[in-house]
Amino acid sequence: MKRMAQLLAVALACTSGARAQGDALAEAMRAYRAGTLAEARTFVDEAVRKTAHHKDPEAWLLRGFIYKDIYKAAGPAVADTLRAEALSSLHKSLALDAEGAFKESAMQACDYLCRSYFTDAAKALADQDDHRALRMFTAHRSCIMRLDPKAELRDREVEFTNALGTLYTKRHTRDRTDTASFRKAVSAYGRVLELEPGNYGANYNLSTLYYNRGVFNIQGIRADDGIPSIMQIQEVSREFFLQALPYMLKAHDMNPSRRETLLGLEGIYYSLQDEESSDKFRRLFEQMPLDEQR
Amino acid sequence: MPRSLHIPLLASLLLLSASPQQPRDADKDTTAILQANYLYNIAKLVEWKDPGMRKGNFIIGIIGNVNLYQELIKQYATRTIGKQPIEVRKLPRTAEVEPCHLLFVGRDDLGLLPGIYTRMSGKPTLLITEYEGALQDGAVVNFVKVDNLLKYEMSLANAHGHGLVMGVTLKNLAHRVDE
Repeated sequence: MKRMAQLLAVALACTSGARAQGDALAEAMRAYRAGTLAEARTFVDEAVRKTAHHKDPEAWLLRGFIYKDIYKAAGPAVADTLRAEALSSLHKSLALDAEGAFKESAMQACDYLCRSYFTDAAKALADQDDHRALRMFTAHRSCIMRLDPKAELRDREVEFTNALGTLYTKRHTRDRTDTASFRKAVSAYGRVLELEPGNYGANYNLSTLYYNRGVFNIQGIRADDGIPSIMQIQEVSREFFLQALPYMLKAHDMNPSRRETLLGLEGIYYSLQDEESSDKFRRLFEQMPLDEQR
Repeated sequence: MPRSLHIPLLASLLLLSASPQQPRDADKDTTAILQANYLYNIAKLVEWKDPGMRKGNFIIGIIGNVNLYQELIKQYATRTIGKQPIEVRKLPRTAEVEPCHLLFVGRDDLGLLPGIYTRMSGKPTLLITEYEGALQDGAVVNFVKVDNLLKYEMSLANAHGHGLVMGVTLKNLAHRVDE
């Protein structure tokens, strides 16, 4: 952040030397350097409203920095608005800056703010707030793409969506009747596999999700359920087990020494009443030394 | 706001999701859950002709298959068959089986079956197994795996030999009935 402030100082020093005392922009710069951000904000807002600075990239750059610094110190209630305001000012500076005099400073500040959206998305996931997490991740993606339309965001999306899938899975695990969370988890892992078919975690987690759903249905059998019900419940569960199988096989193919997939396949085949395959994977699991797992 | 803050946060979420499952513990032993329910429902649809079997506790004996035994205890031990309270017994691995209404012998104990068939011959015990060809050997009901589903087959002749009358519903729902 020190480097960013230095860049800003250099960028502004080149052009602001001749500003008269009393000029709102000069006053904003003075207050910003003094660290009195509230005062700097008042001056810079006044400056960009005036004709003299309304189309001045320097004024918008300074406004972006001031709002960025206020955002960093702000509480959660206003932080999003301040960040959006900072970005909007920086974008305006970039658009007005035909000669690129302030481009490096503006881009660095934008990059920092774009990244902060991803950090907030991760925090929201940790707080189990999926709505905010999705909003923050979408903002992160838009922000980055605006800076660089060719930016490669696949790895970020895989990382985020896998974690989102985990959040929905945990929610579904807490309440197995919450089928909305089940569907969202399936959708999240499905998206990860669209982006990266060889993602071990998504294959394993998606398979486990389907498998557990099938098991849960069978666990729900009650004594008063008659034989026709047992058969119907089995048929429904069989579909979940069949859906689980290819993903666990894929995860196993990707990493045959993982004990968890051997155990997973053993369980899926067992629930599919395929004793021979179940026993085969049980034996492989038992033969696998604990330190073989990678 | 440190730039790398998201990394440990997301990593911790992913690690939680990857903790291994134990699909064969009792709670997830789907076959045991299904078999327990089948045993209970089958017992409800069979008539014991021997008057001596229609009083006292209704005894379900299990040889092998700990998960099935546990499931029966958990879900069915407080229920009744007719007016007879269910009593679930885990039996020792021997052919010297004590009298019971329903006896299940798991696939891990097939070696005991010849002796059990001999000992149970003509006695009012509903013998249930889970291996191919069991009806020919003398089982009354046998679990079979068909299209990834657990079903049952039954022998009316073997039932008759044990003094058992199999209900019409039980026959209609069976995968196969040997007359």
